[in-house]
Amino acid sequence: MDSAVLEQKLVRIWEAPHTAQGWFSTVDHKEIGRRYLVTAMIFLIVGGLEALIMRLQLARSEQALLTPEAYNQIFTMHAMTMIFWYASPVLSGFSNYLIPLLIGARDMAFPRANAFTYWSFVTSGLFLYASVAFRQAPHAGWFAYPPYTDSLYSPGLGMDFYALALLFLTISTTVGAVNFIVTIFRLRAPGMAISRMPLLAYSTLTMSFSAVFSLPALTVACVCLELQRHWGFHFFDVAYGGSALLWQQLFWFFGHPWVYIVFLPATGMVSMLIPVFSRRPIVGYPYVALATVLTGVVGFGVWVHHMFAVGMSHMSMSFFSAASMTISIFSAVQVFAWIATMWKGRLVLTASMYFALGFLASLVIGGLDGIVTAVIPIDWQVTDTYWVVSHLHYVLVGANVFPVFAAFYYWLPKITGRMMNETLGKASFWVMFLGFNLAFFPMHLMGIAGMPRRIYTYPPGLGWDGLNMTSTVGALILGVGILLSIINVFWSLQQGALAGKNPWNADSLEWSTDSPPPPYAFVHIPTVRSRHPLWDDYDEEFDPGDQRVYDQGRLTIASSLLDAEPVALGKMPEDSLAPLLLTIALIIFFSGALAENLWIALIGALAVIPAMGYWLWPQHEREVA
Amino acid sequence: MSTIHAGQAPVEILLQPLGIDQARGRQGMLLLIATEASLFVVLFFAYFFLSNGDWRWLQQEPPQITYALVMLAVLLGSSAVLRWGEKQVEAGRFAEARTAMGFTILLGFGFLVLSAFEYRGHLKHLTPQMNSYGSIFYTITSFHVLHLIGGMLMLSYVLLLPRIGRTNRPPHRAYSDAASYWHFVDIVWVFIVGILYILPNLR
Repeated sequence: MDSAVLEQKLVRIWEAPHTAQGWFSTVDHKEIGRRYLVTAMIFLIVGGLEALIMRLQLARSEQALLTPEAYNQIFTMHAMTMIFWYASPVLSGFSNYLIPLLIGARDMAFPRANAFTYWSFVTSGLFLYASVAFRQAPHAGWFAYPPYTDSLYSPGLGMDFYALALLFLTISTTVGAVNFIVTIFRLRAPGMAISRMPLLAYSTLTMSFSAVFSLPALTVACVCLELQRHWGFHFFDVAYGGSALLWQQLFWFFGHPWVYIVFLPATGMVSMLIPVFSRRPIVGYPYVALATVLTGVVGFGVWVHHMFAVGMSHMSMSFFSAASMTISIFSAVQVFAWIATMWKGRLVLTASMYFALGFLASLVIGGLDGIVTAVIPIDWQVTDTYWVVSHLHYVLVGANVFPVFAAFYYWLPKITGRMMNETLGKASFWVMFLGFNLAFFPMHLMGIAGMPRRIYTYPPGLGWDGLNMTSTVGALILGVGILLSIINVFWSLQQGALAGKNPWNADSLEWSTDSPPPPYAFVHIPTVRSRHPLWDDYDEEFDPGDQRVYDQGRLTIASSLLDAEPVALGKMPEDSLAPLLLTIALIIFFSGALAENLWIALIGALAVIPAMGYWLWPQHEREVA
Repeated sequence: MSTIHAGQAPVEILLQPLGIDQARGRQGMLLLIATEASLFVVLFFAYFFLSNGDWRWLQQEPPQITYALVMLAVLLGSSAVLRWGEKQVEAGRFAEARTAMGFTILLGFGFLVLSAFEYRGHLKHLTPQMNSYGSIFYTITSFHVLHLIGGMLMLSYVLLLPRIGRTNRPPHRAYSDAASYWHFVDIVWVFIVGILYILPNLR
């Protein structure tokens, strides 16, 4: 059939109507991915402004820009915003947008659940920020240790917002993780055996398994905290046989895998773009894939290294210290694979590649000072000082923000159809890289000089003043750098050159679609014969008989787990308002729980039932002529 | 690295007609069970941690075991009935399968009634507000009850569905997916009986 006719027909099947209802009911992974990315970047900006306020307060000794209470709330909101509502969702946004395209599918395995993860992610974020309107934001840091967070020492709504918003977000993240796993297990294009899977799929898969098994610990911790705060239960108070350490165990059993959740997909994205800009396949593909998986597995055995200072047996300390050092081996495998790829290849130094190189440098610094911190006597010395703040920012900004910017410069042309400005991009990189190191390297020195974290001010004459001023200047420069890239995005939307299908001459399947991809992504479901579909001489969409068009409804191919042999046709659901309705039911429940109004909470919980029922009820598919 | 037509036939198997995929929902359900299972593992860890590393909780009076065992029998019976129902679905005997599911839901109600009695007796000696043992004991058991209610809702929903056999219209395999969840909830109770009821009585 004429391809234009086919395309029109597929658009009719897959496109959500351009109406308000269409906007709220769409299940298109590309639309949801875009919304994820925009929302997460807004959270990045908000969290970044909070950081700047803190840096202004700390620029000199004995400043009074903020009250101690306001400072506590701001550093807590900064951490929660960045860790939970930016770092993980931004990666989910990329994975949402890219994974189906990378594996040659037309959508995620559960498109409605996918819409639900977005709605609940953004709603839980709004729920958290509602605390600011009450002037009772969480104030106990992102790990919220009891007994300080018990109702006796932290009255008010702050910690309730903390626990309930996290419970809400946990639901969203778990559903998203299940969705990624089933998508990657089940919807890969025929021929994309696991030995040919793009590395971003490997890292997303590992991240998702980590989330499935680690998030319940956070759920239990937050439920216990709420029960203790409002219902007189005793989990964390010693007087009644509880243990404050229980919280730490639960929180870090979740918390350390979470570090890899916000890190692994970023390494996956870097593993995609470094080979493209080195003009050669990645060196050691199986080792990089295995190292990714092993990082996720061993990531479950290191949580106690956050607790070396609480006192425990030498045996367990040695075990967790050794495990923490082991995990750096897997990161090192990846780093060496990237370096070898660049060494053997011909470098194309685009702005995207600049950010990837900046990521490598900061990951190595952050990783090395992480190994130093895993040495127990040093940990005892530097725990709860600015050393740790420096380490975690090198790892999180270095290994999340830089790769995310690299990915934006690499994939935005696919998403928007327009190129970014390379010169402005490189300028943005240099400003960011300079500001980043200026802001966070001095914190190592502050930590060694004994400056504790989370203090709202400090007396003069301790040798901290100059370092703090440097750090504040660096933070402002970092902010300017990020601003340059934001300007670049808007510039590119207006004036960027049209990208075309494959501006970087890249190897993976998403680049065989138009930029931006049409709602159905591929006219013919591709078949794959190698690890680099667009670099081999096999035409993935070669289908003269139109046998892989599947235009009888929303269909894509389901394939077997290991060899990706086509086994069935995956029927994809129509657009639906049910995910939004379920989110509304949940926000009613959580608001009721926050207000300690059991009736409202009960109404919310009961409303979940019809929302789910409506969602799952078998429906007549839209007829397509 | 330009792309040229290789001229190969696409993967041959594609030429054969493909059925409608029924496995994604199954995989999703198994992963839901996996995350719920780790929820209970974490709760048992908290129970162990708060006992200072002794599953027997020597300083506490051990719980009465009778009700728990009766409830165990009820749940295991319900799982057996539901398993039989799954076989009926596979054999295409949908009326029998629906009856089995209805009976399972009734046994679920039986469990809830028994658990109300169990709580009423138990609360006389131990309340969740008394100490950490009471807190974690009631948290674990009530989490289980909530999951059981969730399971009953799932089963009731499947009972309402117009078709429960193999269908090309989602939800596919709703019967066996809901049944898997129910079996999971039952297995959790086996662990609860073993860890929370039997172990403290072994002194």
